[in-house]
Formats: sequence, structure tokens, C-alpha cells
Amino acid sequence: MNLGGNNDSTQRIRWITFGLLFGLALLLLVMDLTRGVEGAFAFIRNPIAALMDWTAGRTDAYADALAGPRDLQLAGVQIEQLRQENDMLRRELEALREVQAENQILREYFDYVSLNPTLDRVLASVIARDTSPSFRSLIIDKGILDGVVVGMPVESTRGLVGIIYRSSSRSSQVLLLTDNTSSVAARLGESRATGVLQGGGLGSTLLMDWITLEAPVTIGDLVLTSGLGGKYPADIPIGRIIDVQRSEAALFQQAIVQPAVDFNNLEAVFVITNFDPVDTTIFDELPGQ
Amino acid sequence: MGLSLYLALPVMVILLIIQTSVLPRFPLWGVVPQLMLLAAVAWGLLEGLEEGALWGFVAGILSDLFSITPVGLSALAFMSAVIVVALLYRTLPINRFVLPVILSLVATLIWLFVYLLLLRLMGFSSSWQQISDLPRLLLVHGGLVLPFYWFFYGLLKALRPRPIEV
Repeated sequence: MNLGGNNDSTQRIRWITFGLLFGLALLLLVMDLTRGVEGAFAFIRNPIAALMDWTAGRTDAYADALAGPRDLQLAGVQIEQLRQENDMLRRELEALREVQAENQILREYFDYVSLNPTLDRVLASVIARDTSPSFRSLIIDKGILDGVVVGMPVESTRGLVGIIYRSSSRSSQVLLLTDNTSSVAARLGESRATGVLQGGGLGSTLLMDWITLEAPVTIGDLVLTSGLGGKYPADIPIGRIIDVQRSEAALFQQAIVQPAVDFNNLEAVFVITNFDPVDTTIFDELPGQ
Repeated sequence: MGLSLYLALPVMVILLIIQTSVLPRFPLWGVVPQLMLLAAVAWGLLEGLEEGALWGFVAGILSDLFSITPVGLSALAFMSAVIVVALLYRTLPINRFVLPVILSLVATLIWLFVYLLLLRLMGFSSSWQQISDLPRLLLVHGGLVLPFYWFFYGLLKALRPRPIEV
């Protein structure tokens, strides 16, 4: 009976286990930050994503059944059709309002402007949400094999959703507009003043910053992508202004924007596949470098 | 520990799918609980430090694979939380009802603190949303840990051979 010896060896095994686990976690952390093992992660991610896809489909059906009439399948289909039609009409209405405001400028570019830009879109289902409480992202069921790659803009029938952050063969991760790290060059529909939309903060609202003090900003104004920065196509609806923060002491005014998209109940999105983001990394370098 | 790993993987994959694909459509009191953290905590309380750390590691890696978070970060936060509460559990008198609930709350606080700290250190900004959700998350975790704890307790009892009296 050598209890002391056993205790020592137990302690040793314990510390070795902790060391190995913490060491492995740190190693994976470094390797992920250097994007060295993306292939291996995708190998694990893909089969689980397929299971998530299956589960999300059943969950959506169940959730829809709970939300609507329980006994009429036909009614469910009709509701879904009407909902989509309603979304499309809302978007058309917003587009028409936008056209009204832009009429003067569009006169010069009349031949150039089209309400339905020639953008190719891939329809994708939302299969999971981010596991982290710190980030706002979605996982969709389309990946590299469907032509979806990192950097592609993502929208829904209601407006802009986000951007493809990570992509594997059969699934992709979409960084939402409401995420802390998200920023989008935006402009107001009426006054055409530009600003930068940032995610984060309480609730699901967005903050539009860097709007000049001279620009008239009113509650209810439509906010769209400006196309500046080259990350997103111009004129995709984002949301409407619900509050304006203006101080004469400040150089710029800010506005709180309610996104047009309900991110909590998003089931399908469109990935814009033929928009080429402009490479602006050349401007990151300092002169003389 | 070998058997534990084979058990941890399917359990965590199932919980991951529920957490990411089901619960966002049916949030509990407006929040999505960290089911994998609760499972690791419950297992750690029943089976000790090393086993808890291993389950925390598996939970963290799987969690990060489906998040923007760099892979490994949640594993560090989960393991820290589970190890601390498993250590506390050993020093306190055995109680299978109140103690798991209290320790799940402690684990949630430690996990969130370590997680936000590591995110900060790595240059990520964090949202205030989770701070405002914290009281509800604590209550939901406190309510959910007991089913996990008792399920694993029953599972371990069923899996382990009973001593035979001769």
C-alpha cells in the first residue's frame, strides 16, 4: 500500500493531461489564426454541417407548424407564398421610394441604372447560428462547390444580410451586419449623405456613423449600401433610421438604424456570386513601403 | 479516459446540433444556453478534473468550429471553467441538488470572463448583448444543469459493473 506513490503518479498524470489539453488548444489557436489547418477543420465541419442541415429543415417545419394553422398543410404553403410575396412587394416599394428620391441624379444616368441589377444569386438555406454569444454569424448550406467563396455579399428578399466570412466545400459562414466586427459603407436614400454602418451594441440595431452635420437626417429615412469601399454592390436596402444623435459640438452626427432583415428568423438568403469586391489592400500600405 | 472520449464526441455533436440548429428557433427565455458547457460541467463534477477538462476541450473545439471565434479559444475558456468548479466540488460536502446548480452558475461566469478576456487579448471586440443577457443565461443554466447531471449520473451507474458480494 504505497498511497503516497499512487498520489504522486495521479498528480503527475493530472498535470500532464492538463498540459496536453491546454497546449493542444493553444496550438490549434495559433494554427487557426495562421489559417494553416482550414482543410482539416472543414473535414470535421462538413459532416456535422450536413446533420445540421437536416435538423434545421425539420426544426423550421416544426416551428412554422407551431406558428401557423396546425392542421392545414396547404394553408402553411399559402402563408409562406404570401410572406414571400409580401417581402418582395415591400422591397419593390422601398426601391420605388428610392427611385423617387434619386430621380434628379438618375436622369443623367438613366440608361445605366436598372432596378434589378444583373447580379447572379445563389439561394442558400440557413442551417445553423453562431455558437458564440460574442459574434453574429450564420451557417448556410452552400459552399465552394456551389460557387460560394469568401468575400461574397449576402442578401435576403428584405435587404443586405452580411458577407461570406469562411467557406468550405458544402457550407459557408456568413458574418452578419449586426456583428461587432462588421462595417458597411452606407448612404441615406433621401439626402444621399454617406456614412459607415457598424454592428454591435444592444439589441439588433446598427449604428450609422460619420454622417456630416449638414446632411438632413430624419427618422424613417431609408439606408442603402453606397458601394464605397468595393465590398458590397451599391443600392441594396439595409434598413430605416429610428433615431438620430446630433450634437453641435461633434463633427459628425450618428443615427440608429433598424435593419430591414429579421436576422433571428432568417431561413434563406441569396449569395451574390458575380460581384467582384475591389481589392483595396494596396491603400493599406504606407507611402514608400 | 478512452471510453470517456468516445462518449464525449457523440454527446457533444448532438448538443452542438441542438444548440445551433434547434434552440435558436426556440430560445429558452430569450437566450440560447451553452449546452456543451453544461454537459462538460456535469461530467466534471461526477468524474473529476481530468475527465471534465477533456469534455471541456472537446466541447470548446466543436463550438469554435461553428463560430467566428478562433478554434481553441472556447476550449481554453470551457476547460478553465470546468476545472475550477470540479476543484470546488471536491472541497465541498456532497450534494446532488443545490451544489451542481450553484457550480453551474460559477462555471458560466468563469467561462464568460475567460472567453471575453481572451477575445480582448486577441484583438476582438465583444458585444454588450451577452452582458445584458447574462442574468437570464445564468437562470437558464441553473435550471438545465440538473437534467444533465442526473442523466450522466444514471448513465455512469448503468455502465459501471456493480461490486459483487461473495
